[in-house]
Amino acid sequence: MYFEVNGKQAFATTGGKVFNNQLPTVIFLHGSGLDHTFWGLQSRFFAFRRYSVLVLDYPGHTNSEGPPLASIEDIADWVHDVVEVLDVNNISLVAHSQGCLVALEYASRYKDRLKSVSFIASGLATPVNDALIDAAENNPEAAIAMMLSWGFGPAGHLHQGPIPGNSMLAGGRKVMRGNVPNELATDLRACNAYQNGKQAAAAIDCPRQVILAGKDRMAPRKAGMELVEHLNEPELHIIEESGHMVPQEAPDQCRTLLRDFIFSHNPA
Amino acid sequence: MSDFFNFDTLSLHAGQTVDKEFGARATPIYQTTSYVFPDTDTASSIFNLERGGHAYSRITNPTVGVLEQRIAALEGGSAAVCTSSGMAATFCAITAILSQGDHIVASSQMYGGNISLMKNTLPRFGITATFVDPTDTDGFRNAIQDNTRLIYGELIGNPGLDILDLEAIAAIGAEHHVPFMVDATFNTPYLCRCFDYGANITIHSVTKWMGGHGTAVGGVVVDGGNFDWGATDKYPTITEPYAPFQGINLWEEFGPSAFATRIRAEAMRDFGPSMAPMNAFLLLQGIETLSLRMEKHRSNTEKMLEYLSNHDRVSWVSHPSMPSHSSHELAKKYLPKGAGSILSFGVKGGRDAGKAFIENVELASHLANVGDAKTLIIHPATTTHSRIDAEALVAAGITEDMIRLSVGLEDVRDIQADFETGFRAAKKVSGA
Repeated sequence: MYFEVNGKQAFATTGGKVFNNQLPTVIFLHGSGLDHTFWGLQSRFFAFRRYSVLVLDYPGHTNSEGPPLASIEDIADWVHDVVEVLDVNNISLVAHSQGCLVALEYASRYKDRLKSVSFIASGLATPVNDALIDAAENNPEAAIAMMLSWGFGPAGHLHQGPIPGNSMLAGGRKVMRGNVPNELATDLRACNAYQNGKQAAAAIDCPRQVILAGKDRMAPRKAGMELVEHLNEPELHIIEESGHMVPQEAPDQCRTLLRDFIFSHNPA
Repeated sequence: MSDFFNFDTLSLHAGQTVDKEFGARATPIYQTTSYVFPDTDTASSIFNLERGGHAYSRITNPTVGVLEQRIAALEGGSAAVCTSSGMAATFCAITAILSQGDHIVASSQMYGGNISLMKNTLPRFGITATFVDPTDTDGFRNAIQDNTRLIYGELIGNPGLDILDLEAIAAIGAEHHVPFMVDATFNTPYLCRCFDYGANITIHSVTKWMGGHGTAVGGVVVDGGNFDWGATDKYPTITEPYAPFQGINLWEEFGPSAFATRIRAEAMRDFGPSMAPMNAFLLLQGIETLSLRMEKHRSNTEKMLEYLSNHDRVSWVSHPSMPSHSSHELAKKYLPKGAGSILSFGVKGGRDAGKAFIENVELASHLANVGDAKTLIIHPATTTHSRIDAEALVAAGITEDMIRLSVGLEDVRDIQADFETGFRAAKKVSGA
């Protein structure tokens, strides 16, 4: 679905159903250099169970008009603009990696329509080393390789995946190739610059859930537990066998956890 | 630094999750038609493409799925769909994106079945083709029409062995928003990964070198995930709502695997050319040794080329690794590890001498296949390409005296000794 935000074209998939702002809505937020296709194994499930779904492409990513936004705060404001434009109510935010930083900002500042927020594979901050940012700008293939290598756990590295015949690893590479160099580098700089995680986490008062991965090399368990600590007793789950790409590497467990949480706190 | 597995490791492990119940190291053969659903919600969500999973083996099967993910990994593709044969793969791939009134630009030098499909069969359904000399890259551009929806060719043409200029033809496709589909059977991903040079889809008859043992017929379509279907309105089967799945837009939902998903959702469901689990298992065993076999094929081919080139009963020899071959430079560029193990040659004395040669060799098998572990020979003009007309034979580079040799893995000294028997018989017939 294409729509206009601040004079620019924006894109979201709606899970195969026509978007209806009268329904409770699940908004999915992707990670650095990725796009809406990351959420395919969660989004359609909710769309066919009486929820509306918005799986966003951030500005500059895949189908949404650029340029990419330079800070986490700017992306959170843009998500709010989307919510305003489409007049979305009863929102459940579901976020992964960089999307979690966006969700922290959004949930701490725009509370009135928010029913729940789910953080997947993230800490309070995402420090990015200079070598990766430099690679994103000057050698995007190397940056993509580093991120996918760290991002996927053992199953991903063997091109396994929940959809018969599909290689998660190769699919991720194709998506990221469409979002380099500018989008990925901008995303990584935005992550690296974000410092407001602790304050934002403490300000969130809607039901919150954290899903971490036992084999996550991008957002290790220690970092995830810092998020848990500052969110004030969120619902916590750890999927031991998954790498960082939880919604793809452990889609059934992830979807079940999201289902139980969202059905409970934002019923359709 | 990244730490991805390399080709040989992926050949052995990609796609397989070790069986959790019994710890079977080999991929189990899931010889089942169907799968017990734990509950109705799971069942409906699998049918509605909300989650992965298996419902019925015509659509997906766990053993076949391992093979699909292994081939996708080796090719660098985003997804793969296995089929009952290479021709089924070609048909499913074409019909996933072409409909009545659409047009293909295809190489004239292809397996006879491919040519017949595009020249005789698809026109009955309103899909036409223009055939182009594979060495005439500009010819591909000139043949593109407003209704062209596909460029198709074999990287190593069968049986003339001309090489497609992948990068140049891919650029033509990109310029016109037309995907470039390559039959990569003769090269396998070990010799060339066509996606690295801009191809968008590959097809394999995995019956051949991928399986490598002549025990199972099968095919595969690999989605390169690198074609922007949404950049044009030419491909409504990918970018418009698909009614059988509640109006799903495959491009929006599946992005880099949208094309493969269309094949899965339509061709496998409606046409049903599924691969048998047992065949998938046999083909997996072959792929485990793909690089080892391809290296031996290459070294034996080099020795046979030298032998035949110096033989007084041979009138000509052709292989892209030979400087005299018109595609030699392209072979060096795209196939640096070897230009395949098919070669062709002529026996002095013409058609009758060729017939005598084929009927008197014993180790080399006279049959209609290539890419077996065993050495194979055939006379294309009267067999594999017998259903195409004289004009198309010329276009395909086939002469009356041509013998196609698929070099096997035997001790090359034994192959050569066998050929000596054949040449003696040919000499008697020709009388020279």
